[in-house]
Amino acid sequence: MRLRKFSPARHRHAFRWLLIKESRELLVSRAWWLLLFLMGPLAGISFISAMRTYAEVSGLNGTAAGVGEALSPLIGVWAPTFSACELAAVFLLPFVAIRIVAGDRHSGALKLELQRGISPFTRIAAKAMVALAGWLIAMLPPLSAIALWIFYGGVTHPPELLTLIAGHILNAGLTIAFGAAAASLTEHPSTAAILTLSVTVGTWVVTFFAAIQGGFWERVATFTPAAMVADFQHGLVRLDTVLIALALTLMGLGLAAIWQVLGKTETRRAGESAALIAVAALAITAFTFARPTWDTSEDRANSFPLTDELALRQIREPMKIVVHLAPEDPRRADLEHRALSKLRRIIPHLDIQYVSGTSIGIFEQTREGYGEIRYFIGNRTATSRVTTAEGVLETIYDLATMQLPKAPEEPVFRGHPLAVPPVGAPAIFYVVWPSLTLLAALLVRRGFH
Amino acid sequence: MPFEVQRLSKRFGGLQALTGVSFHVRDGELLALIGPNGAGKSTLFECLAGVLPFDSGSIHSEGRPLSSNDLFYMPDGIAPWPQQPVGWVLDFTIGFFGGRKDLRQEVIEQLDLGALLRQPIGTLSKGQRKRALLAIGLLTPQPVLLIDEPLDGLDLRQMRDVAAALRVHASRGRTLFLSIHQISDAARFCDRFVLLSGGRICGEGTVEELAAQASVGSHDLEEVFLALT
Repeated sequence: MRLRKFSPARHRHAFRWLLIKESRELLVSRAWWLLLFLMGPLAGISFISAMRTYAEVSGLNGTAAGVGEALSPLIGVWAPTFSACELAAVFLLPFVAIRIVAGDRHSGALKLELQRGISPFTRIAAKAMVALAGWLIAMLPPLSAIALWIFYGGVTHPPELLTLIAGHILNAGLTIAFGAAAASLTEHPSTAAILTLSVTVGTWVVTFFAAIQGGFWERVATFTPAAMVADFQHGLVRLDTVLIALALTLMGLGLAAIWQVLGKTETRRAGESAALIAVAALAITAFTFARPTWDTSEDRANSFPLTDELALRQIREPMKIVVHLAPEDPRRADLEHRALSKLRRIIPHLDIQYVSGTSIGIFEQTREGYGEIRYFIGNRTATSRVTTAEGVLETIYDLATMQLPKAPEEPVFRGHPLAVPPVGAPAIFYVVWPSLTLLAALLVRRGFH
Repeated sequence: MPFEVQRLSKRFGGLQALTGVSFHVRDGELLALIGPNGAGKSTLFECLAGVLPFDSGSIHSEGRPLSSNDLFYMPDGIAPWPQQPVGWVLDFTIGFFGGRKDLRQEVIEQLDLGALLRQPIGTLSKGQRKRALLAIGLLTPQPVLLIDEPLDGLDLRQMRDVAAALRVHASRGRTLFLSIHQISDAARFCDRFVLLSGGRICGEGTVEELAAQASVGSHDLEEVFLALT
């Protein structure tokens, strides 16, 4: 017999078959059908309760007119509605990814497929692509909520909605990558599930530590999936977060690929894994210095008014802010959210330091200087205790000997109140979607056999 | 496309599974790897196929290391893609592995799979699954096919049909290397034999050559095997 010659065209052909196979494996995966089935009620309960609250504050059933004027659909409706995706990404999606990766190993198909001579990274890429496609289908219920919202007469701001959706896709990619890595690293799917959930719990622990300890943990916590999704939920795109999420995703998929190669010794696979993790760690460290951010929210919730941003950009001298507030002091969260996070986006060489002796701050209240915010620009200093955006800006302008910018000429965001109850939504999310899912599952099963 | 195995060794922790295994495989032959349970047959096949790393030794074909283009290994006791119907799995084998489409119908008939094409692999009985696995193996394009226990789970009639099918494929130039623990089954239709016991090669050759090695008058493979191990 003659030797078979491998060509790029044949590899593309094989990859196409891999995609077909993985798609069929997804279609017979109970974990995926369960995810689809539950996404309807999960998105429904979030959307319906958010809509009801939004309608009430918009004036439905006798609320004083005008209360809802400042309401942003992004925060009032879309963030809670798409939180169903966050929940599903933590508790359901890992099982889909694990099923797709571990299934081959469990059934023995992996031993056959490895003999095709195709790169393990290609194999894992095919699995990840199909899992992500499965996730996009699972996102149909929250996406259909957008259509309902428009049908009710609601206004949408596509950039912020796309940012939110992109955030959940990025988060799903991370989940799939970690699920795949866990499935490859462990012998049994149940162990992989425990490992994946442990990683999730680990990120929660980091967030908890950050809230108590501040400092390094606070910085690390900004890159957890939950923090990443929170940024996107507010319409904020941070290049560092996106790059780090992509690096972690590639690392997870790389680990999954390495541990699928059964023909290499475990020592060699461990060595390759260590090298991959080292490269990823270097890349992640480099990415933390990426500063560009984009505020896609319609109400510019993550930004100062444009006139202030222009004025702040004119400050050339290095600026340092030392905040004497404990991590759990609510004033610190106010200051961070209302002013400092926005300031970081405008002034690239801003040095912010938090100083505290305790985590809660209650017993520090009598300490001299506690609660103070000290500003340093060049060789000038100023001290303030104000934590509002206006107060912070005023202090900075004083210190920089700048004139207060004129009142903003940009249009003021007035909100998009919508005093309409979510009529028909319960039927769609609680009855139609689950029924369609069940019907589709039955038809697919019949079609396969 | 013959290949040669030289001093292949494999250890699992404290267990030495293969010790200095050496033999050669000839072009287009039906070669049987014979040995009792636990002899290391599956381990040897997995090492040859590259799905299990070996500690030392080499596998060469015409002066170069063996690659995935050269041989395909069909393990025993697996149920790959269990939810997919047999017919689709055969199509996948042809598409993904680059197998021969023109052999599909012939293999289905040889292995009597016609009635099973719409059945998911995971729902098949042991014998049915074995025939489906053999079909996958026979459709792959590599010149050498390694099959672990090709007759396991088959009844007498099926064994005869499978043996005949394997002979047909070997006669077309494909090299078949079969791991068989039932010596009488192997003796029935294989050309040459590699005897493995306790992870070591005890003999290699035709029945006559092995009988001469063992210095036994009988050409009964079982007796020869017992004499050599």
